[in-house]
Amino acid sequence: MGFSINAGLLDAMVLSIVQNNDTYGYEITQYLRKAVDISESTLYPVLRRLQKGEMLETYDKEFMGRNRRYYRITTKGNDSLEEYREEWRSHKKKIDSILLNEGAGYNEQT
Amino acid sequence: MNKLEFLTRLRNNLERGGLPSDDINDALSYYEEVFLDAGFGKEEETAASMGSPEDVAVNILRESGIHVGGAPIMPPQRTGAPQGQQQGPMMGGYVPPKKKASGGTIALGIILGIVTFPIWFPIVCVVVSLLFALIVVLISLVIAFFAAAIGLLFGGVVALTEFPAVGMMFLGAGLILTGIAILVCKPAFSAAIPAIGRGIKGFCGWIVGLFKKGGKENV
Repeated sequence: MGFSINAGLLDAMVLSIVQNNDTYGYEITQYLRKAVDISESTLYPVLRRLQKGEMLETYDKEFMGRNRRYYRITTKGNDSLEEYREEWRSHKKKIDSILLNEGAGYNEQT
Repeated sequence: MNKLEFLTRLRNNLERGGLPSDDINDALSYYEEVFLDAGFGKEEETAASMGSPEDVAVNILRESGIHVGGAPIMPPQRTGAPQGQQQGPMMGGYVPPKKKASGGTIALGIILGIVTFPIWFPIVCVVVSLLFALIVVLISLVIAFFAAAIGLLFGGVVALTEFPAVGMMFLGAGLILTGIAILVCKPAFSAAIPAIGRGIKGFCGWIVGLFKKGGKENV
């Protein structure tokens, strides 16, 4: 994957993963790796930011004699994710119209 | 680098950056969890995939609104991603800033170092020789202890034939001294001498680093 991922997109993807079901840091990274080349250390600031923005909340769950921190999406997070998705759809459409010659006219620019 | 080393270095860097201790603990528990989830045999690999703890710390500090000078990387693309495409057409991506310390500042630093040579060189000499003197003093203390002990023991044996009581006392005192010397000095020394040695080495390294970076405020 040669295209860079910006912070907003990363936030949106993390929210979407957590929305599917509550999960923990390591698993989120593994999920994200299917699409983008990131490491655990990229994820931590993202999770932190989402937590501070009250999009995600955490709880601890016991796993093999230790606590594992799980993330859960909040209502605010859900709303925000919907906005992100809407934004992504329109963004994708515009890019596709140029890159893949899709959509109405070649020279249409918005 | 193993897990412990990674976490320790991360903690040190976060503390130096002035992150509140709650945030430090939160970050450390996250990274510890990553290591545990990755599996026991994979510490080195996991540490390598996350980059240097210093860079990780810079990113955490930055996210917390603490500005850190130096080389920032956000989002840290893992190595291997083609460099040329970092500023891909898709997003107004992040352009890694150039490293500081241009040729000019380095030259300036060297000149500064040469000009201030009469000031710092004697100071370096004094500090190094003080540390060295400390080692010598400690070593001679040990030798003195042992010499006294051996002398008393010999004297004791000799005196034993003529004045048994005095000889016994000498022997006893000699043995006590030997005991003290072994008990107190040896462990203290095995720790102290390498520590002082490291001190000298570290100090020299610091001076060299200072000189290389050129300037005092740049530590």
